[in-house]
Amino acid sequence: MSRASRGGMSRNAGSDIKAAYLFIAPAIIGFTVFVVYPLVRSFYLALTKYNGLTDPIFVGLGNFRRLFTVDPAFWPSLRATGYLVVLYVPLSLILGLALAMFCNQRFAGVRVVRTLAYLPVVLPAIATITLWKFILDPQVGLLNAVLDRLGLPTSLWLQSPSMSMPAVVLVMLWGVGGTMIIFLAALQAVPNELYEAARVDGAGSWSVFFRITMPMISPIMLLQVILQTTAALQTFNQPKILTNGAPGFSTNVLMLSIYKNGFPNLGQIPQLGYASAQVWVLFVLIIAVIALTAKFSSLWTYSDNTPD
Amino acid sequence: MKRTFLVTTLACAGLLTATACSGSDSGGGSSDGPVTVTVMTWESAQTNAAINKALADFKDDNITVQLLDTPAGNFGDKLASLTQAKKLPDLFWCGNDTEQQYTSQGLLVDWTDKIKDGDGDFKADKFVPSAMENWKTADGQMGGLPSLMNTYGVWYNADAFTAAGVPVPKAGWTWDEMYAAAAKLAGKNGAKYGLVADQLTSLDGPFTMSMYSVSAGGAPFTDNVNHPTKAEADAKFTEGVQKLVDAIKSGSVSPPGYDAANVQSLFSAGKVPMMFGGQWLAAGFQTDKPKVKYGFAPFPQVDIPATLYDSVGICTPQYTKNQDATFKVLEYINTKVWDAVLPASPVAPPAYTPAQTSYFDALTKAQQPTVVDTVKADLAAEKTVGVRFTTQWAQQVGDLTTANYQPILSGKKPVSELPAYIDKINGLIKSAG
Repeated sequence: MSRASRGGMSRNAGSDIKAAYLFIAPAIIGFTVFVVYPLVRSFYLALTKYNGLTDPIFVGLGNFRRLFTVDPAFWPSLRATGYLVVLYVPLSLILGLALAMFCNQRFAGVRVVRTLAYLPVVLPAIATITLWKFILDPQVGLLNAVLDRLGLPTSLWLQSPSMSMPAVVLVMLWGVGGTMIIFLAALQAVPNELYEAARVDGAGSWSVFFRITMPMISPIMLLQVILQTTAALQTFNQPKILTNGAPGFSTNVLMLSIYKNGFPNLGQIPQLGYASAQVWVLFVLIIAVIALTAKFSSLWTYSDNTPD
Repeated sequence: MKRTFLVTTLACAGLLTATACSGSDSGGGSSDGPVTVTVMTWESAQTNAAINKALADFKDDNITVQLLDTPAGNFGDKLASLTQAKKLPDLFWCGNDTEQQYTSQGLLVDWTDKIKDGDGDFKADKFVPSAMENWKTADGQMGGLPSLMNTYGVWYNADAFTAAGVPVPKAGWTWDEMYAAAAKLAGKNGAKYGLVADQLTSLDGPFTMSMYSVSAGGAPFTDNVNHPTKAEADAKFTEGVQKLVDAIKSGSVSPPGYDAANVQSLFSAGKVPMMFGGQWLAAGFQTDKPKVKYGFAPFPQVDIPATLYDSVGICTPQYTKNQDATFKVLEYINTKVWDAVLPASPVAPPAYTPAQTSYFDALTKAQQPTVVDTVKADLAAEKTVGVRFTTQWAQQVGDLTTANYQPILSGKKPVSELPAYIDKINGLIKSAG
């Protein structure tokens, strides 16, 4: 290869690199403007007393001190968030997987069933949540009317301190079709030969499920655990519309608490610095939960990475 | 992880975007030549149309009045964004709490001198005295003027009372009579509770309970809602709380957490026989025409009448360009516009007393005599208490109430825990200076 041709390659490589930078520039700029800058700025604001009307006043760790030691809403909000995660994540995974397994069968009308199961996901969330609020009304709601007609005990649902969170989770599970569709894709990717071999060996349904299906879809299960946990930690729409955090702090999850402080009712001054501190607590919490999930995932996920 | 990162940063971005806007501000004072004064309300499209029509009659060659089109339901969001962008209109509807807080931040024009030495009848002494007092900040400023009064009382379904053989509420009735009536009305004709009193059990509950203690000769929950020096729960207040706790426990009064969003509809449908509420519901009932015969009574008392009320008003940003022109329009709204608007929609009595006639005439014409009597009694009441703190830390008091006061009402904590709750609020008052 001649020197001239090597020089030509070098020039081409240089221009390729420039083109590459040009192509990724929008993403880099977008990431900087919409991710890095807000992160840095929100961390700064978390260290200030800031209402959006006047200049921020630096208070150091004052907002975090208030959050952990003074604010009567913080620990109950954290408890409510934890309760929601513990209740919602397993139920959504179990229900999503059960629905996916049902929809993975071959029977007449399976496409219709799949569509119906997924339909709530594409409906406007605000409209469906508002409808659920009517359904769960303890005095004139449909659910209590049906329970009463059947002679079953009724409940205050969203107005009961003990039943409000389960009721919120019930409404969240209305959108379990999203979980189902991912599980369905995972189930359809499991090689059929494995099932055939198991049947030849005389394995029963439970044995097939726990020894073939679960290991084969475990990477997807890990993904779902992370996605659902992250989503649950950031739940906002349902408690905001259904209860606005009541009764007491029973459904006042962290995202709602952040919103209330950052964007309070008419007549109240925003606490944007304090809300930023709460955002950072939630951010750290999410990272910690995901890190823990990832760390212990090797104990229960199957990976086909063994060397040949 | 990436999704978490993205979502969290987007949340941060949302918080920041709301604060990143900035606008040009301008000095106060007046300017020569034709000027436009902008007005923003939280009223319905129908009421705004009536206001606009009335504003069209404002005659001043140098002043044009422009009513901004604002969706009533999003007024709070709109106000917040315009405040942060420093683009507030010259006149905007505001609550007492907004006026107090914005004034303390130096955001509003102080009208104290203008209204003190106003033209003709448009002077401070023509307004409801307590409203004027409430609109003064601790250092005597007035960042706006009260425009409409909010009075409160008990709405009752007269048919339900008659069916239950209970006399309908009237001025001078007692708290014990109210709870006894609630007990007889609960669980009848589709009504779960005999009394829905959100104002007693919500975050404003302790302030509403002040009526009991003040009526019994005791102390109110706080000495001043605008610039408090202390909170208090004396023996009379505690007695009132105990009676409420017992009524909630018996199932005759709705508990904390009751969703009162639809209570007006339920009342109209006959499923709520008695509820606490403001006089403004009269305008809605006039349109909706409930199926039941209803009335509006003053709050019950122990010994002497006591009530709670507040007022809404109109504020002007400190950076408004034409303060003189703005004040002329403000005067016109208070003295003339209500006369044109209230006959069609009698929502509230004006704080400017000469303009109250049109409100009461409209209610009388609509055959709502109990509303007329109760509102007049409320406005004339000697013992009044504020509805809530208007301070910057009011939201923190709300959290303390959720954590400490509401569990007492629900029976989860004993009434003996009241002093601990009061101590926490006093700690907040002290730390806020």
